[in-house]
Amino acid sequence: MLLETKGVCKYFGGLKAVDQVDFTMEQGKLKSIIGPNGAGKTTFFNLVSGLYKPTHGQVIFQGRDVSRASMNERSQLGITKTYQITSIFPRLSVFENVRLSAQSRVSMFNSWRKAYSYSAMNNRTMEILDHVGLADQQGRIASELSHGEKRYLEIGIALATEPTILLLDEPTAGMSPAETVEATHLIRKLSNELKLTIILIEHDISVVMGISDEVMVLHEGKKLAEDTPAKISANETVQNVYLGKEA
Amino acid sequence: MSAKQNTQEVTAYKPYSWQAILEFRAMWVLLALGLVLPFVISKPLATEIMIYALFALAFNLMLGHTGIISFGHAGYLGAGAYAGAMVVYYGGVGVWVSLLAAMAGGTVIAVLIGLLAVKRKGAYFAMISLAIAQMLYFLALSPFKRWTDGEDSLKLPPLSVDFPFHIDLSDQLSLYYFVFVIVALAVLVQWRILSSPFGHALKGIRENEDRIRACGFNITRIKFLSIVYSGLFSGLAGGLLAIYLGAASITILFWMTSGIVVMQTVLGGTHTFMGPFIGTAVFLYLRNAISNYTDRWEMWVGAMFMALILLFPEGIWGTVMQKIGERRRPSAS
Repeated sequence: MLLETKGVCKYFGGLKAVDQVDFTMEQGKLKSIIGPNGAGKTTFFNLVSGLYKPTHGQVIFQGRDVSRASMNERSQLGITKTYQITSIFPRLSVFENVRLSAQSRVSMFNSWRKAYSYSAMNNRTMEILDHVGLADQQGRIASELSHGEKRYLEIGIALATEPTILLLDEPTAGMSPAETVEATHLIRKLSNELKLTIILIEHDISVVMGISDEVMVLHEGKKLAEDTPAKISANETVQNVYLGKEA
Repeated sequence: MSAKQNTQEVTAYKPYSWQAILEFRAMWVLLALGLVLPFVISKPLATEIMIYALFALAFNLMLGHTGIISFGHAGYLGAGAYAGAMVVYYGGVGVWVSLLAAMAGGTVIAVLIGLLAVKRKGAYFAMISLAIAQMLYFLALSPFKRWTDGEDSLKLPPLSVDFPFHIDLSDQLSLYYFVFVIVALAVLVQWRILSSPFGHALKGIRENEDRIRACGFNITRIKFLSIVYSGLFSGLAGGLLAIYLGAASITILFWMTSGIVVMQTVLGGTHTFMGPFIGTAVFLYLRNAISNYTDRWEMWVGAMFMALILLFPEGIWGTVMQKIGERRRPSAS
């Protein structure tokens, strides 16, 4: 098992944002976490990313307890997240946005060698920009990109850290329906081509059903179900609390 | 290189933006202008501009490039000036050793402030750095008066350099070129640092601290090193200042020094490399010109500062670069 949570909880005062969630993640799979707003998706996600430390329970990555590891430590181990609200380096070029992220695996304190003289890093950056379809935009300043392009850049920045697990927090947030379709295909493609393990958070069920290997449903901080998309759609409890209301 | 995994060619990269190329050229143009500066304006003013420009660039390592606001840079400059002057005064050492001591002095204070405050953000960091700088001011003024001569300032004998060849630093033109060469080298080293992976990480922190942390960078250590470099170059500027003034003066440590370097940097443009250099030259030239006519130069310089900032919201050089960018955009895309 690549990633596991055992009875993981996160309380904010009296609010049980995440309550006793057991979760497992196999290598190379694409798993989605869905649930209505306030179900604890983002909190759970941040327990995995390291932004929050669990109140109780454990997060185990590659057989090792990382519950107390900070976000940058987990990133160095291979758990990388993207943000629900686009988080890029606005005044840097598209190329530099991704290259800087790739640099985190190579050098942080070298103050003398030229940053652009690491050809492996530059090549890697261009590979990633090709993957997310931004190679021809490399010289533009990131803040000038369209919303959809920024979302792709965001994924590119995350890919550059060579993640073992990629955590995507509502990657299609704010996209038009057409852009959403394109983005979900891109995510499936990344999972297939790069053999990447992906955890995807969504509140829009239609986005995840077509591309996920498995789906976990959260409701009021608790795990409601965890199964294949087909079985989740057929699950009565899920339909009652969540799917039913959508129709 | 490892074997190619796929036949598809990866698109060629061109990492240097036009801004970076323009800044690089501007740096060489300004340094070339520095060669003739003492023949355009008075030699002492030219020397002062060079020293304070180095100080402003060092300050901007933190403000413009890393995004850390410091109100205590007088502490680094003063520590450099006193360290440099004291080793000459009490140790009788030469100018080169004095400058090394000055860099060490600035670095020590930077390490101290870094250890205490590196995890504090924004105004909190600014206040802690201000408090420590003020503490140094009062320490130098009174408890350490035996060593610093307090308000009388620590006066240096006429200095000269004997290595690699003889330079008489009491000659104004020789002093200028001595200072100019050291400042130019320091500018080039700073450029190099900012072009390094470390320098790029600084820009990442400035642009988006949370994101760069999520990418796996150790923010605290990178910021700490940024503070240390800033202290080192500020200390060097302080050492040069003591040589130029012929004394380590208590006014260097006064909080106004910390304020003026903010003005000089903002005037030139914080998001640029050479902006602080230009801002310092404009600021000191104006101050000098106005103080020939009135003792109340602060008021006039203040008014002009406001006028210039209204005209150049991103600083003089920053706004010029922005305008060039706007002109380029239609043709570039």
